[in-house]
Amino acid sequence: MDATAAADKGEAALKLLEYADPSHFLSPSADLVTAARAASQHIYSSLVPLSPAQPPSTLLTDPAFDAEQIWSQIELLARPLLPHLRRQLRRLEQQPPSQPQATLPLPVEKPADSEEEEEEDGQGSELDELKELEETDDEEELSDDEEDEEEEEEELDQRAHKGLEDQFLKIGEMAEFLDKGDEEEYGGGANRGEEKKATKNWMAESDDEGDEDRDEEGDEDLEDFEDDDEDGEGEDGGGIMYKDFFEKSHNRPAKKRDGSTKKVQFKEDTHTMELDGSENDDGNVEEEQGLSTHEKEQLKARAKIEQMEKAALESSAWTMQGEVTASSRPINSALEVDLDFEHNVRPAPVITEEVTASLEDMIKKRIAEGHFDDVEKPSLLPSKAPKEHKELDESKSKKGLAELYEDDYAQKAGIAPAPLAISDELKQQANTLFKRICLKLDALSHFHFAPKPVIEDMSVQANVPALAMEEIAPVAVSDAAMLAPEEVFEGKGDVKEEGELTQAERKRRRANKKRRYAASHKERPAKLQKD
Amino acid sequence: MQVERATSAAAAGGSSDSEGMAVDHAAGPGAVEKPRFDPLMPSEMSGGRPQFRKVPVPPHRFAPLKRCWMEIYTPVYEHMKVDIRMNIKARRVELKTRQDTPDVSNLQKCADFVHAFMLGFDIADAVALLRLDDLYVDSFEIKDVKTLRGEHLSRAIGRLSGKGGKTKYAIENSTRTRIVIADTKIHILGSFVNIKVARDSLCSLILGSPAGKVYSKLRAVSARLAERY
Repeated sequence: MDATAAADKGEAALKLLEYADPSHFLSPSADLVTAARAASQHIYSSLVPLSPAQPPSTLLTDPAFDAEQIWSQIELLARPLLPHLRRQLRRLEQQPPSQPQATLPLPVEKPADSEEEEEEDGQGSELDELKELEETDDEEELSDDEEDEEEEEEELDQRAHKGLEDQFLKIGEMAEFLDKGDEEEYGGGANRGEEKKATKNWMAESDDEGDEDRDEEGDEDLEDFEDDDEDGEGEDGGGIMYKDFFEKSHNRPAKKRDGSTKKVQFKEDTHTMELDGSENDDGNVEEEQGLSTHEKEQLKARAKIEQMEKAALESSAWTMQGEVTASSRPINSALEVDLDFEHNVRPAPVITEEVTASLEDMIKKRIAEGHFDDVEKPSLLPSKAPKEHKELDESKSKKGLAELYEDDYAQKAGIAPAPLAISDELKQQANTLFKRICLKLDALSHFHFAPKPVIEDMSVQANVPALAMEEIAPVAVSDAAMLAPEEVFEGKGDVKEEGELTQAERKRRRANKKRRYAASHKERPAKLQKD
Repeated sequence: MQVERATSAAAAGGSSDSEGMAVDHAAGPGAVEKPRFDPLMPSEMSGGRPQFRKVPVPPHRFAPLKRCWMEIYTPVYEHMKVDIRMNIKARRVELKTRQDTPDVSNLQKCADFVHAFMLGFDIADAVALLRLDDLYVDSFEIKDVKTLRGEHLSRAIGRLSGKGGKTKYAIENSTRTRIVIADTKIHILGSFVNIKVARDSLCSLILGSPAGKVYSKLRAVSARLAERY
């Protein structure tokens, strides 16, 4: 009784929701809320016995429960239930519909049937309802909605699959295959998908590819197709004919083997590959034409790598080796090679006319200026006044000791004036020298300002120029000598040279010399004796 | 002294006793006046007998003595008032005090003067001894400084005097002394300090230092000496 009452309530609530005005859903209303809860409870309880797992029997829809909580409860039920329902549907599809399926309980059919009915009858209303449900913010209603949607999607898929699939083509398998192809994208998987028309080339490509993966892939595909072959004839799929596939299947394994052997050979030895290429020229040309740009690049790179590896293994040329002595390279090989090394010395200047001209110009200029690079003596400037050295008188003092002391006493007492010291004499000499210099300097100005000083000194008249002429510029001095030649002459009478003397004269000279010497020698001992 | 005592006693006796006694008594009981003694004349010394000094004359100074006798005699006799005579037989110069010799030391000074002349000094230099008190004559031998023999000795002597005596004169002039180099004996006449300096230079020359080095030292020392005075 309770169960039926509850079911009735739920039905009533569901109906209420169905026929409610859309505008009512925009604003939250307590009636609709309670109706929704009741409806969801009813549907939940109706579905509970069907689920393979053992979910809680009732849906707790107290006002205290949140939308999230209610939804999670529904999820607990729906999660194992939905795949189960799907499987059931599939089974139904496979089995002829004429056979009565009494095993399935009514409620299972009910939602399916109800959905079918809804679809067939009132798709528009359902759609509107769905839209309304979608627009509302309540998640409880969305839960129903989602359930419906999922069931609808499955149905649609199944319908589509029914149209295309046959004993050969299984959509699921094709999907798997496509996924595999996407994984092995590089290698012409895309080509395979695109060029289904060029069957021969396609087959050839599969042969020539070096990738094992590709071959495996091809094998898998063909395996698939071979399996399908057993089932029966397939429908047309993209212009590929049956005989294209399955007549070549006999050749395929042979070709496959060749490809593998070729492939092995290719990997081991390039020469054999080339030989094979020459043998199977037509096939190779065709194959090369069919190569993609990437494949071509790969070929080139491979060839280059091989070449470089070979070169690296060989010994390099003598120019590339490090230190090479004459014995380790061929004769006169250094002459042929353009060697580059740093020169530490400046190259010798090429003497041209211009160079010499420039040098001569410089020399001339220097001479004209008088600018020479002579070593100049640094002028010694005395930093301080020269020390006055007391000159030690090395001659016998003229005064006696007593007189010295007498003079000392007299000086101290103040009786006698200070005596003339030696330094004064030097000063006198300096003074005379300075006066002479001043005279010369004054002569430059022609004595206009100063009179000629009179130097009183008793000097023997020397053989100097007679006149000091006064001229404007420069000062000219006459060459006429002061003394007459006979005055200059020193000597007596007839002067004869050594060579001119006669024997007697020579003897006379010697005698005179001896006499003079004797005389002087006599004087000396006498002098000494005096002391 | 005796005469003075006699005179004082006579004076005391001559005068009234009371005066002298009075004075004595006035000074105090038993106080005696300090006796005043005038300094003795040299003639009165040693019992009024004259004093003598005898200076022997070496043979090589005989002729110079003969030559310069008047130069010796005049200052000694006239200025120092000391009797001087030459004992030719004994070959010595004898000096004697006179009555009017003013000072006791005159005799000694004259004796030193004559002795200096005998050593070889000039009259002009030796006369300084008469005039100044603090001049002395210092003598030493080369062998006192360093034992030299033969050529080394000759070279040392040569080093001492220098070429034409210039080293010797340099020392003399810078230190205000007079030096006589008599073979191996060296006599220096001058004041005490100067003698010392001259002696040091001569010793360094004997020991072998070159003249230039001695000159430089002399210059420094003489400058110092000159600054002092």
